[in-house]
Amino acid sequence: MIINSIRQSFGETLVKLAKTNKNIYVVNADLKSSLFLEKFAKKFPHRFIECGVAEANAAGVAAGLAKTGKTVFLTSFACFSPSINWNTIKQSICYNNSNVKIIGSHAGLLSTDLGATHQMLEDISLMRSLPNMEVFSPLDALETAKIIKAITFSKKPAYVRLVRPSTPNLFNPKFDFTIGKSHLLKSGKDITIIGHGPILEEAFQVQAKLNLDKKNKKISLEIINCSSIKPLDTTTILKSVKKTDHLICLEDHQQQGGLGEAVAALILSNNLSCKFIHLAVDNKFGRSAKIYQELYDYYGIGVNNLLSAVKKILLK
Amino acid sequence: MLPFIKTHPLQKIAQELREDLLDMVHKNGGHIGGSLSSIEIMIAVYFSNLFNLKKDHFILSAGHLAPALYTVLSKAKYFPKSLLDSYSTFNSPLQGHISTEVPGVEYSSGSLGQGLSFACGLALGDKKKKAICLTSDGEHQEGQIWEAVMFANKYKLGNLINIVDFNGYQIDGSVQDIMPLDNLATKYIQFGWTVTTVDGHNLHQLISTLKNAQKSNYPNCIIAKTIIGKGISFMENNFHYHDIKILPENLYLKAKSEL
Repeated sequence: MIINSIRQSFGETLVKLAKTNKNIYVVNADLKSSLFLEKFAKKFPHRFIECGVAEANAAGVAAGLAKTGKTVFLTSFACFSPSINWNTIKQSICYNNSNVKIIGSHAGLLSTDLGATHQMLEDISLMRSLPNMEVFSPLDALETAKIIKAITFSKKPAYVRLVRPSTPNLFNPKFDFTIGKSHLLKSGKDITIIGHGPILEEAFQVQAKLNLDKKNKKISLEIINCSSIKPLDTTTILKSVKKTDHLICLEDHQQQGGLGEAVAALILSNNLSCKFIHLAVDNKFGRSAKIYQELYDYYGIGVNNLLSAVKKILLK
Repeated sequence: MLPFIKTHPLQKIAQELREDLLDMVHKNGGHIGGSLSSIEIMIAVYFSNLFNLKKDHFILSAGHLAPALYTVLSKAKYFPKSLLDSYSTFNSPLQGHISTEVPGVEYSSGSLGQGLSFACGLALGDKKKKAICLTSDGEHQEGQIWEAVMFANKYKLGNLINIVDFNGYQIDGSVQDIMPLDNLATKYIQFGWTVTTVDGHNLHQLISTLKNAQKSNYPNCIIAKTIIGKGISFMENNFHYHDIKILPENLYLKAKSEL
């Protein structure tokens, strides 16, 4: 399996886009190297604005700069931006409808050794709740490039969640990313697995395990990559749930305010019912570990947890 | 003997707008204290001909001073004066805190401490234009202000002017009691800004200082010493008039007669 860096993909994509689009600016909060922005800063020094460790001001500067016709990428770790600067994002970016793209890197438990303060598990929740804000969580490096390109053409505020480690390539190069569209990564008939980010790879592992298991080899999973969390692809999700009647939502985020809640609300408000399990961190802070699987198992979102959930949901 | 200084011709606009302000908040309430203290500042920005506000930027960071800006914008013909009667009612664009729904308003605010960062962004992206920001003194207790102050110095934003409406009061009392700013001018100077302190009700001083600020290579701070509730005796230096729900008829008539 080929793995690539989502962060590197972001940095390289931005340089490519900025060569032709002179309006692309970066407003950074002292995390240039972590977000692979050194090349951008070197090639376009006048379009790289360094704010230091001051995320609230950075968000405000980005909003003002955007109002002069620029497309501004506000870059930091997700644990600082969006969070320290949430109110500035609300007022200066969303309420004022400024063309700012917030890039929050190192999200989720995949920042394995860094511990609770740096494992951002609330970013989707914080951003989903803001009017005017669109929210994206790319599956892999390829989709990251496509999302960055797509939001550059849009004039709306956006949040993009990136993760730290290199992750498996899962996105079909034939697909195009469209805002508000989900992708069926694998079609199936029994259970819909919906999620966002690299954690979705677990669903393929679970399907492989099921295929090898005599008792369960007929279970077929339908895997949906919901990288466009807001706006949500209601058509694809509802169609799949109507078909399978079983839904597991998987995410490296708090249950509270995550994709799972958005999907559950969508299903209920369409007068549908289905068996539902939400695999996400449940109201807990993260902690350090050597390898991320230790954390995924501990917080109940690992491969074995998904496998158990698959078996359990069919008995429900 | 002090030389006789003629009242500035724009002073009569201040008089007129104070009456408009009083009428606006009389029935619907609002932030009258700071609006009365900042009216000359806004007049100096909008009516001195130093700026072209179709191109230059005016950012009201202290969004609760909305009533003052609404009267200024109506006087500057951005919208008809009759709209002022609808202030803070349903269906009116004139929100309780300043909003871009109102013609002529460039930045929606209400949460303090953010406008200076926004103005920094404008000044950086539009170097040929001026970005004028109006903040309050109490607002300087917000940490983000100081992040922006550092930023403006780093990027030498000579086209940025921050005017501080220094009336000495905030919602719960005096700034000195709640969280003193001590020597604000010194702080700005140490952060690399050019600082001028003026009488914020003296249009001669305000306008000449704004004129000088246009030539600067460094960000400019104008500390405008003002009086909260200026022009209405029982509101002056009285923090209870930071914000009112309603002004009883007898007090309204008293205020009206004083103006």
